[in-house]
Amino acid sequence: MTNTQMPAVRPSRPATTPATGAAQPSARDRGTRLLATLFLAPTIVGIVVFTVVPIVGSVVLSLFHWNVIDSPRWAGAANYREVFTDSTVLVSFRNTLVFMVLAVALQLLIALVLALAVNGRMPMWLRSVFRSAFFFPLVLSAASISVVMKYLFNQDFGVVNWVLGQVGIAPVPWLTSEHSAMAAVILVYVWQQFGFSFLLFVGGLNNIPKEIHEAASLDGATGLRKHLHVTLPLLSPTLLVATVVGVINALQVFEQPYVLTDGGPGDSTRTVVMVIYESAFEQLRFGEASAVGVLLFVLIMAVTALQFRLSRRFVHYQ
Amino acid sequence: MTDSHLTRRTLLRYGAYGAGAAALAGTAASWDRLTGADIPGRDDGSLVVATLGPAYGPEAIRTLTEGFKKVHPDIKLRINAVQATDWSDFFAKILTQIAAGTAPDLVYVATEGVQLFAQRLGVALDAWVKRDAAELREYFADVHPSLVESMMYEGSLYQLPVEFNAADMYLNSQVLKRAGAGFPAADWTRDDFTELLRDMKKSSGSQFTPYFWTNRLWGGVVPWLFANGTNLLTESKAPGGAWLWDGFYPSAARQGRGGGFRWTTPQATDARVEESYDYLASLIQEGLCTRPEGGNGQNLIGVFSTGRVGVTPAGGFWAGGLHLAGMEPGSFDVQYFPRWRTQRMQYGAAGYSLLRTSKKQDEAWEFIKFAARRDTLMRLFETNQTTPARRSMLTADRYRESGPRHWQVFYDTLDKFPDTGPIPAPPQVAEVEQVLLKHTGTALSSRRSVGPALRRMQSDLEKAMERDV
Repeated sequence: MTNTQMPAVRPSRPATTPATGAAQPSARDRGTRLLATLFLAPTIVGIVVFTVVPIVGSVVLSLFHWNVIDSPRWAGAANYREVFTDSTVLVSFRNTLVFMVLAVALQLLIALVLALAVNGRMPMWLRSVFRSAFFFPLVLSAASISVVMKYLFNQDFGVVNWVLGQVGIAPVPWLTSEHSAMAAVILVYVWQQFGFSFLLFVGGLNNIPKEIHEAASLDGATGLRKHLHVTLPLLSPTLLVATVVGVINALQVFEQPYVLTDGGPGDSTRTVVMVIYESAFEQLRFGEASAVGVLLFVLIMAVTALQFRLSRRFVHYQ
Repeated sequence: MTDSHLTRRTLLRYGAYGAGAAALAGTAASWDRLTGADIPGRDDGSLVVATLGPAYGPEAIRTLTEGFKKVHPDIKLRINAVQATDWSDFFAKILTQIAAGTAPDLVYVATEGVQLFAQRLGVALDAWVKRDAAELREYFADVHPSLVESMMYEGSLYQLPVEFNAADMYLNSQVLKRAGAGFPAADWTRDDFTELLRDMKKSSGSQFTPYFWTNRLWGGVVPWLFANGTNLLTESKAPGGAWLWDGFYPSAARQGRGGGFRWTTPQATDARVEESYDYLASLIQEGLCTRPEGGNGQNLIGVFSTGRVGVTPAGGFWAGGLHLAGMEPGSFDVQYFPRWRTQRMQYGAAGYSLLRTSKKQDEAWEFIKFAARRDTLMRLFETNQTTPARRSMLTADRYRESGPRHWQVFYDTLDKFPDTGPIPAPPQVAEVEQVLLKHTGTALSSRRSVGPALRRMQSDLEKAMERDV
């Protein structure tokens, strides 16, 4: 886009121009500005109504005690104090962070390896089959997938343990042991989610000019070395996007642990969003639930900001 | 900054914006709070009844609406079948409707929510029950007083029970035969039960688990606590209720009845509670029992009907469920929960709760009476998807096609064991249930975990019970 189009949205006014009317926009500019506003209005209204208002509402609600039935009562910081002393909430934050680190790392690794493999030499039709197959779980409902997976991972009657049993491995209490439940939840989550990162990586790999790879090959780079020193740096902007989106999604994980383990055994797979749901809709503590929501929002913002800050060092734009 | 010099025109413009915003805010603030009911077409003057969606399919809704229209053509009725996975999820959705200002007039509420609704949302039915006593005499004569008592709160009646389910033991006949075991006696003990599980295990393959149970308030650990003569919370009776007992029940049935149950002090560290958990942990350790799994036992019908499970606790609702799954009437049967120190059993019941916010309370009462009528329940519960609260409805004819052979067990659980009672469900039930499920999972990870997990459960239950709902 050229600079000549910019005034249509925001007419520039030279810093030295006196404010008294010399830079008044023309009738045409005003018309264009109105048109732009009209085009943007649905999106702006949507964002305001469905994002900004709920966020502000949550912040306000976090300062009140509210159980839906009675009128809200002023609580000040009491909900936040309660949150910081509630062991279930603290454990849920720890679980969510552990989940985020492991799930995102695994998701990116699998997606990257498969993207590199699919991007290699293979017939076009087979490439299309793989792309569709890897992306397909993403379009399914997480709750439906989790219901099916709950059957598969059942310790006594599940197919997974039956298969393991065929090769002499004892039944694993996938969903009923504190040690394996989180692993099962992560596996199910990653299986569904990696398709998004996979598609991003396939797109990113296609955007890397072939000449660079050819030049690297001429210089003697091969295999893993070429990927580490050529592909990965050139893919780093895509990797940043995939990581940021992956982290934000992982910090809000709900369906998989809710359906698979209901947060158990104990609190071992209870996540922050589960605590928000339980506090609000099961225990009618909407103020406390909002306080947890506000803290999660702050956490997501902080982690995202940190990622962008770190990206200055690790991300290379061509 | 160039903008530091505001022109008169700009100043006027911003002033106008500010005045406009203030006027808008003032107008909004002066209005009554807008609710979902203000949406045009939303409030059509109907009496709105919220029911648990999965239990009320289109056929049931038609039965209720068409039947009610015949009796009360002047009252417009709308059944709102709320889809939910369990009672807790259902109540959450109802409360969301209340928060949105679209509260129904009546809500179908199970034991899990009776006291919460009675304390915070419901209207006592006492005045209407007294007014229409003659009409209701036949109803109360047909319904066990324990079910009615479970719908009372602090001396007042809040619902007329229409269905209930006690946790009895379902047995797979094919598995019994494989184990060379006979159908257990009505007074079988916990030790008989354990021996039966061992026999089943010995005679079956590795893909078989004798006893399956679901980790939830109804039918999880609680039946074992009841059988062992204890409970999760101390249980007592509220005073009052004589107005009802004296008016509708003979003196023998009135014995020991009060104004509803009270569940107060947590007792998770009680020796008998620990003993019950220890017993279940030993069954798990021996491979006789599944580890506690959360949820609503959706996968149970499949594994039970295919003989991969031998025994499981369930209520009358399962007769219909197993029949639908293709099990023949003789391929399963039901017996009372085994005796330990007592043979007291647990149940959950359900009926319609009238909300305080309803502007059609008299019409709602007419619906409550209609829904408790025998002919209504006969049409509604045709497929044995539950146990009707009316004793007269449990007949050999009803269970001929679906089974089980010992169908009398369902109502005799109340008639022959009069101390059988409802699951502990104080107004704080949501948090109590969550604490129970959470710590049961960890308590049963090994026998050594029982004590520490129950101590944590006790502490969390104390916190839960201290909270105002």
